[in-house]
Amino acid sequence: MRILYLFVLAVSFMVLVSGNAKLNPEAPTDLERELDDVARVGSVVVDGDVCQKIVTQRAKEFLFAKEPRDEFLAGDNYDVDDVAFNTVKKTLARLSHLSSFPADVNLWMPIEGHAGKIQLVIRNKNEMSQFWNWGELYGDMVPQMETVLMTGQRVTVTSKPGWISVLSPVHNSLGDVVGLIEAVSRIKVDVHENVK
Amino acid sequence: MGMSSEVLIRHRFVLSFLMAIYSQVLLAADLEALPEFLRSDPFGAIVAPDRSGADLASSLYDTQHRVILTGSRGGYVSFHLVVKLPLPGLYTLDVKISDPTNKVQIDLFREWFHFTDSDKHYYPDALIPVHSTYSSRLPEPDNRISQQTAQAFWVDVYIAPDAHPGTLSGNATLKAGTKIMTLPIQLTVMASVIPAEDAVTIDHNSYGSSWLAQQFAASYQRDPEHWFESNQFFGLIHAYHRIFFEHRGIFHQLGYGHSGKVGPEFAPVLEGSGKRKHITSWSLYDRHYGPLFDGTAFSACRRGRRPIPFVYMPINPEWPASYEFWGEAGYEAEFVNVVSEMERHFREKAWTHTNFEVFFNHKKRYKGFPWDGDEVRFPKDLKYFIEYGRLLKKALPAGTPVQFVFRADVSWDMEQQFKLLEGVVKLWCAGGGILSFYKDAPKMLRNRGDVVWYYGGPPSVMDSSSAITEFPLRAWLWGVNGYVHWLTVSPGEDPWFHFNGGQTALVYSGEGFGITEPIPSIRLKIQRNCLQDLAVLDSLKGRMSLDSLRAGAARSYNNSALDDWWNPRPALADLPSDQWLGSAIDHATKHTRQRLGHPVASAWYNVHQYALTLQAEAK
Repeated sequence: MRILYLFVLAVSFMVLVSGNAKLNPEAPTDLERELDDVARVGSVVVDGDVCQKIVTQRAKEFLFAKEPRDEFLAGDNYDVDDVAFNTVKKTLARLSHLSSFPADVNLWMPIEGHAGKIQLVIRNKNEMSQFWNWGELYGDMVPQMETVLMTGQRVTVTSKPGWISVLSPVHNSLGDVVGLIEAVSRIKVDVHENVK
Repeated sequence: MGMSSEVLIRHRFVLSFLMAIYSQVLLAADLEALPEFLRSDPFGAIVAPDRSGADLASSLYDTQHRVILTGSRGGYVSFHLVVKLPLPGLYTLDVKISDPTNKVQIDLFREWFHFTDSDKHYYPDALIPVHSTYSSRLPEPDNRISQQTAQAFWVDVYIAPDAHPGTLSGNATLKAGTKIMTLPIQLTVMASVIPAEDAVTIDHNSYGSSWLAQQFAASYQRDPEHWFESNQFFGLIHAYHRIFFEHRGIFHQLGYGHSGKVGPEFAPVLEGSGKRKHITSWSLYDRHYGPLFDGTAFSACRRGRRPIPFVYMPINPEWPASYEFWGEAGYEAEFVNVVSEMERHFREKAWTHTNFEVFFNHKKRYKGFPWDGDEVRFPKDLKYFIEYGRLLKKALPAGTPVQFVFRADVSWDMEQQFKLLEGVVKLWCAGGGILSFYKDAPKMLRNRGDVVWYYGGPPSVMDSSSAITEFPLRAWLWGVNGYVHWLTVSPGEDPWFHFNGGQTALVYSGEGFGITEPIPSIRLKIQRNCLQDLAVLDSLKGRMSLDSLRAGAARSYNNSALDDWWNPRPALADLPSDQWLGSAIDHATKHTRQRLGHPVASAWYNVHQYALTLQAEAK
């Protein structure tokens, strides 16, 4: 009975927030509040143990490899465990449905042995991120990401005008923060951006 | 009261000086005709990469200093005219060939001199259409080269397929001050007609549409909110298709990103989920593609109205099916239902002349999906291709006249994919370096009905003028169906004064010149003329074996043999492709680099002469 109650509640919430065609939010505060909800739920449902299985050992070994005669060495050796990737990606996609406007939920993970670096591991269909420079395999960790990984607290970032990201921790079964999700949207969505 | 003798002397001196200068200008003003392979710089010298062909400099002239042109019908003959004024001044250039039937037409273009930051030189490339009587001054005001003493023009002489064979006369006339200089032109129109169909398909690729708003910023800024749904926008897309079509090429525009985001103009609108997902609007899609699929976008073209032969579909792992359902019944339902709707729509519209490509461009390094759609390296990824092949087959009714074709762009693992994806993938776009290991592959693939292209990028303007011809020639020598320039519409932030060389552009925005369409380049023109010659050579295969025609062309081009265009199969080809290193591939393609070198400027001129000789013999 309790399961049924929870199910009805969840469905009602989904209908409430996504029953209409997704529109741009009327105010940044709506956006921020909804993204915070998405990020909060995300921290609960995203499985950190599975996330840790996504990037293969081979990809990790080549991530920082440099070869003057082969500028694409790291990218050409980038590989993932597709079962783990798909499991987490499906969860992230469903999380994004909790918002009433176009939003993405991306997975970011720190890189063992490379303090201050972080890599985007999963992107989603609106191709939005406030932090990813298009095409990069890894990048510098912004201080807000470091805060999330260190404290396990959610952090809202509005550094780029018109963008809102809520960063939220991802835990594994040991209770460690092993990554973070970025629930992200824009005040004005650009439907042509990153169609390339 | 008379002038003092001192003042008189001074006036006389000034007058004499001015007369001397003036007469110097008049004496030195010059009009020169150069073959298409010799590009002039803004100071009247041949650009350095073309000096290897300097012996062609007088090849257009006969003993009476007339410009002698010969061309088949249904194509173009091209050359440069260079106006030279040693000092700043006004001039008028007029180019005419008299043809009362108007079947021979002159297209005149001013050549833009791009300054390349890397070597600090000027190269002509963008071609600005001008009237056949063109008046301006040197230095050309908009090109802003303070010491400019020469302005080059590209002359296209179009000969319609139904022009009368024979000889026509014309003139190129330069007026500078009171001096008039005339170059007589004699055009021989041959009876032969260049085949309308090309021996190889040359594709010009691009990604998305946002670059159009950047390159046509004035148009976009007039109505940024609605521009991407405006007639100007769709007209511009059609204009890009037209410019490549008129230059014997095709144009591709990929409509989705690496995570599956689809641009609104590239796909019909979907609604619903699971078995209820369906198409609700074709509005933007049909405005975009309707005139391309029925050919009406090309109604005013010299080559005539013709549907585009190939187009990317918006299909990707996230469209039309939502990837969150991957591997579930809902994914199959969404994919099959929507693709079936598309097939039905195309069939009802009678859009049956275009190949609708199901093509996966994503790479896992861009973090959208866990498998490589483009250039598969890891064999485990191929299971996704097989699944999409199954879904596509299920979506399409047997015997449909609509041509859906599964395309794969392959490199590392191509040899395995040729085997494992037989019957699934029908259009192969193969990396040229690795394909060069597999000499038997094109024939094997074509024999089973597949289409084979290979890919690379355009040469820089800093390469020789003939460099652009290497790609079509290689395609024809290899026996593949075509070649893809991977990006051809991206000339960089400031192509006019700080040019990056143009390795991602063969056309430019005309907006800065008051033209609301793209404008061509010298490289595109030379490529078109090369394709004309290849069409002619290929048409002669009834009289000579194709191998001997190819051998003759290769010999004329760079004194090479056909085998020089292939690399021996390297040992690494027997290793699993995920164990290859990029540097090892470089090493394995050394043979062709050493044997072929870089084409000299006169390379294609020699092939053209070879084709003309064979045509004359055939007659």
